[in-house]
Amino acid sequence: MSTQTKKRSPWRKRILFSLLVLAVITAGIYWYVATDTYSDTKDRKPAYIVSAFDFINEFRQNEKIAKEKYNNKILLVNGRVSAIEPADTTMNVKFVDTGTGDYIIFTFQQQHVDEAKTIKVGDSVSIKAAYRDFIYSEILDAYSIMFQRSTLNK
Amino acid sequence: MKKAILFLSFVAFAGSIFAQKKTTTSATVKFDASTAIDNLPKAENKTVIAAINTTTGSIAFEAAVKNFAFTNPTIQDHFNGGNWMNSDKFPTFTYKGNITDLSAVNFAKEGSYTVNTEGVITVKGVEQKISTPATIVIKGTTIAATADFSIKLADFGISGAPIDGGKVAKEPKISVSAELQ
Repeated sequence: MSTQTKKRSPWRKRILFSLLVLAVITAGIYWYVATDTYSDTKDRKPAYIVSAFDFINEFRQNEKIAKEKYNNKILLVNGRVSAIEPADTTMNVKFVDTGTGDYIIFTFQQQHVDEAKTIKVGDSVSIKAAYRDFIYSEILDAYSIMFQRSTLNK
Repeated sequence: MKKAILFLSFVAFAGSIFAQKKTTTSATVKFDASTAIDNLPKAENKTVIAAINTTTGSIAFEAAVKNFAFTNPTIQDHFNGGNWMNSDKFPTFTYKGNITDLSAVNFAKEGSYTVNTEGVITVKGVEQKISTPATIVIKGTTIAATADFSIKLADFGISGAPIDGGKVAKEPKISVSAELQ
């Protein structure tokens, strides 16, 4: 009887220990995923450096290829500021192609929102940001390219 | 005759000033689907295109789904994925509606007005009617509009274990604000 107990006990311990390890690993992964945030765009190296109007033209020529090429990439976009718009408590910066009304718009990363307030219409700037999407607007009858987590590149 | 022409010209001119479509490309839409057990499913989009016609009272919004910003990269990826918003196939949320009591607001006079709106919101290609009050503030030539409401995810065919498990709210709160020029 006592021999049987000795044989079962190590397996129970092993199973319990394995479950404990699994629980710790699962909790660790959950904690890592739940507390993960985007890194500072200022610290990221851009995958591409583009000029605003060439960039818009690239999408006009072949939307599908351009979307695949730039999907989720950090880009450095050079251009002349056409407009600065209030967006809730922050400001968005726009490069507009006045010929077509198509535009590129940037929302700034939380820690860099004050940079947008230093920019003026007509300034030539370099903005590093995460490309998000290229969409057609029925309201404006124009295309827009949207960027998130932007920062002024100096 | 000259006076009549002059008068009509004045009416047309005044009409062109006051009866116009005002737009912005930086309206904000926030949604909050967080729950007591998960604070992550909430986001905002600050590049929403919005328009209001001060003559007809028509209102329109277009929000790029991919430009909803979450603090957490994994949640943002899930939100855009095939099981949730499928943003590659359905790239925008849209709203088209009207102010139903247009006489309640005087666009030519500065002040704050509460109006009622009715319209159709489209999420993942599914259309649903929605009615909500909104606040319109006129200041100079700027119209600031805000509205708060909620939607039922099930109405748009959005379901899944995180909703059933209480990690995503069944009825997220939506906040809209736009400064139209």
